Amino acid sequence: MPLRIARTTVHFEGHCSVEEALDLQAFFGRVKVPKVVLTQCAGLHTALLQVLAAARPASIAPPSDPTLAQAIMPFLSGIGADR
Amino acid sequence: MSNPSRNNPLLQRFIPEARELLQASAGGLLRLEKNPQDGPAINEVFRAVHTLKGSSGLFDATALTRLVHAAEDLLGAVRAQEIVLDSSLVDMLLDSLDQVSLWVDRLEGDAELPADADGVASRMASGLRARVASKDSPETATTADATLPAEAPPIWLHRLPVESLRVGFRRACRGATVLALCYEPDPGCFYAGTDPLQAALQVPEAMAFTIEAVAPWGPVADLDPYHCNLRFHILTDAPRTEVEQAIRYELDQVSFSPVSARDLVQIAGEPSDGPVWDDFYEAASAQYAAGDLAAIRASAATLRSFTGPGLWRNDALSWLEDAASATAPDHDLVRALIDAAGTGRFGGAGNSTVSATASGAPTTLLDGPNGAVARSILAGQRQALGKDGYDEIRLASVAAVVGNLLVGLGLDAQRHAFQQAIVDTHESRSTLPLLIFLDVLESGGTPDTLPPSDPLPSITSATDLPKAADLPKSTAPGPGPGPGPDGAARNAAPEVRAPQKTLKVEQAKVDLLMNLIGELVVSKNSLPFLAKRAEETYGSRDMSREIKEQYAVIDRLAQEMQGAIMQVQMLPVSDIFDRFPRLVRDLARKLGKQIDLSVEGEDTAADKTIIEALGDPLLHIVRNSLDHGIEQPEIREAAGKARTASLRLRARQEADGVVIEVQDDGRGIDPARIRAAAIEKGVIDADEAGRLSDQEAINLIYRPGFSTAHEISDLSGRGVGMDVVLTTVEKLGGRVSVTSRLGEGTTTRLTLPLSMAVTRVMVVEAADGVYGVPMDMIAETVRVPESRIQRIKRAEAFVLRDIVIPLMRMSTLLGVPARQRNSDEEAEEAVLVCQIDGRHVGLVIDDFREGMDVILKPLQGALAGMRGYSGTALLGDGRVLLILDLKELI
Repeated sequence: MPLRIARTTVHFEGHCSVEEALDLQAFFGRVKVPKVVLTQCAGLHTALLQVLAAARPASIAPPSDPTLAQAIMPFLSGIGADR
Repeated sequence: MSNPSRNNPLLQRFIPEARELLQASAGGLLRLEKNPQDGPAINEVFRAVHTLKGSSGLFDATALTRLVHAAEDLLGAVRAQEIVLDSSLVDMLLDSLDQVSLWVDRLEGDAELPADADGVASRMASGLRARVASKDSPETATTADATLPAEAPPIWLHRLPVESLRVGFRRACRGATVLALCYEPDPGCFYAGTDPLQAALQVPEAMAFTIEAVAPWGPVADLDPYHCNLRFHILTDAPRTEVEQAIRYELDQVSFSPVSARDLVQIAGEPSDGPVWDDFYEAASAQYAAGDLAAIRASAATLRSFTGPGLWRNDALSWLEDAASATAPDHDLVRALIDAAGTGRFGGAGNSTVSATASGAPTTLLDGPNGAVARSILAGQRQALGKDGYDEIRLASVAAVVGNLLVGLGLDAQRHAFQQAIVDTHESRSTLPLLIFLDVLESGGTPDTLPPSDPLPSITSATDLPKAADLPKSTAPGPGPGPGPDGAARNAAPEVRAPQKTLKVEQAKVDLLMNLIGELVVSKNSLPFLAKRAEETYGSRDMSREIKEQYAVIDRLAQEMQGAIMQVQMLPVSDIFDRFPRLVRDLARKLGKQIDLSVEGEDTAADKTIIEALGDPLLHIVRNSLDHGIEQPEIREAAGKARTASLRLRARQEADGVVIEVQDDGRGIDPARIRAAAIEKGVIDADEAGRLSDQEAINLIYRPGFSTAHEISDLSGRGVGMDVVLTTVEKLGGRVSVTSRLGEGTTTRLTLPLSMAVTRVMVVEAADGVYGVPMDMIAETVRVPESRIQRIKRAEAFVLRDIVIPLMRMSTLLGVPARQRNSDEEAEEAVLVCQIDGRHVGLVIDDFREGMDVILKPLQGALAGMRGYSGTALLGDGRVLLILDLKELI
């Protein structure tokens, strides 16, 4: 399972597909101070990305894949900065 | 996306649709060639090609999409009056459409494009694109100038990180073409299996990659994760074709804008002032005048090293350094950057002004500190409005953007006028009021002084828009940026076009209905037999009458039903006529002839099978006319005719058939030459030839063997493929006739039945059986006293109204013994006078019976090869009626 939820932290591992979007959304609805760890993430579906963007989690650990990190982190952290 | 397969329903829908669109575009192009100012035609072609591009993107047919895309761009340029549509351009476009059409055929058969498609596509596409690129000819220079704002850099460019812009700037300075992509996926795209993020990441050589939300995020709980709310902005210097290839499935959601180095300049920092800048400005200007870019770069670097790094002018210097060290420096850009560093103001693109300092009161509404950004936002919105015409959704987003902009700029005074413009726009369902507002706002006027409730008086003050007022017919050059005449014309179009409610049904289903109705007609026919039995066998007259009454009702309903279903099968002849303008044009160009084709009666409808089968024969006739009938312009002139020949295609409905005529005013057929050729060829002998009338001589061209003889066809100027015409038309139950006057032209007339579904036959008794004879073969029925039958050797004949008609006995033809006549019967023969191949023949039968409509079923299986019968039909009492094929029989 690419999306691993451990208490208040969700770990993205490998390629995370569109099917996980609702689970992720539910997670953010449930957890007060959610943390997101993208370190092991090799790719994520746009639907997940926008759930992340909308949820504005307190902390996001960037993916170790530099291309992916470069593509999504400015967007995700930019959203965080808006708060 | 996986390969489309044969049972891909989308593909199956796409193919007929694509063919229609191709047909529509080809037709429009030909109209345009005749009249380049035909506004509706260009819109139609553009719309068709655009739709084709959009729907082709659903399949793994990149080559097709790419080619259509190139054609669309070219058409877009034509539509914007940037390039003039000439014959060579029409040729190119038609060739591209032909290629696409071939590919569509291929897609239908193999569900994929041929292996060489990519190569062909890029070759043809680059040919098309070359024409787009060469549009800046002197005569269109003014239009090109005026369209500059439409090519303004996308507004989001300045939201990209400065580092990315800097990278792009350096590459652009080195001569790379930098493309700015805005990819806004369809909100529902996730359901189509698209992952926009992955797609966007595929763009090669991305220098900047930003994501933004289209609408602000609400609470996460309310989010629909499957509704895509993201937009991607990408800056790349990869070749456009590569980029398109990378995101080929998303092409219609991506906008490409080539950006120049200048567009990428973004100078930031604190304002500053001092003599050091003035000194630099002076020195650099001098160096610039001397053309010494190296020196400029050196001075810039020096100055930059000892001024504050956070200063705006310092930043300008860094851009200047890059610009000056470019391999192919843009001198204007260098000049502008020198000015920027020297004066604290950057000229930016065109004449719009970016001011780093808020010094000086704005002279127009948009000359404030954010003027350039505001302008480019407005330009973008205007473009969007002009592109899409009136569209509620688009309008809402434009309204939101412009509204925010007004608030942001503190132009509260304009907001009222703006609100009014929005209301007007909604009321008039036209983007015009809003466009005028934007125009005035942009041109620096004070929109709040406009009488906003009435947009018309203000039109004169708006620079380009008056032309948009007299739409949709206006084709005047619209130099306006984006929203020109076409923008409004497109608004008008949907109102004119009523929604078509068309159902696409498989042919097999219609055939089934047809068969069922056929069965119904046959079973209905059994009711009279039943009535007869009720009366005769059971002696119930009342019952018989009631059955007959019921029969009348069912009969009427069945006939109506039959009529209705036949209507379904009817197609207008325009289906086949539509291909001729193109064919005639191409052939005429090839043969160096001038031909004016006129088509009449395209709406005449006939059965689908007939229409479909007629394509080839008509093609032969028209080709013959062009090839042999119509002379070269010089010859025509010498003969005292107009240089331009006329070729007419006419269709009309007659009593129970369709008549199609092909008429030319060419040299006509020379009967003498036909006679001579026929004798030489041994088709007829000299005596016979002498007896033939001119018309009969002309008819010789139908003789098989005659028509294919090459030397004769050259002599007569006719004949190639005439037997094809004849056989096809006759198979359909039609007739062909040719009339020709030497030196004046030839008319070929095809007469065809309206429908093949129901055949009217006459039932006859012959040789102890009943047979059906197709009614259209029968000229008349006569009873001939035996005494009037004359024997000429072994043959018999009789005279009918002074014409000798040869007699044949049906019993002999069918090989059954003749019926023995009772001796007390009056010695009289029932004769069916038939017309076969234009000659009359009398057929002696035993007796005539009624005529009836039958559904003719061809002989099948073991009987299929049997000669003399064209098929069978079921009678009301369950018996099978054999329908005779008199032509084969005699």
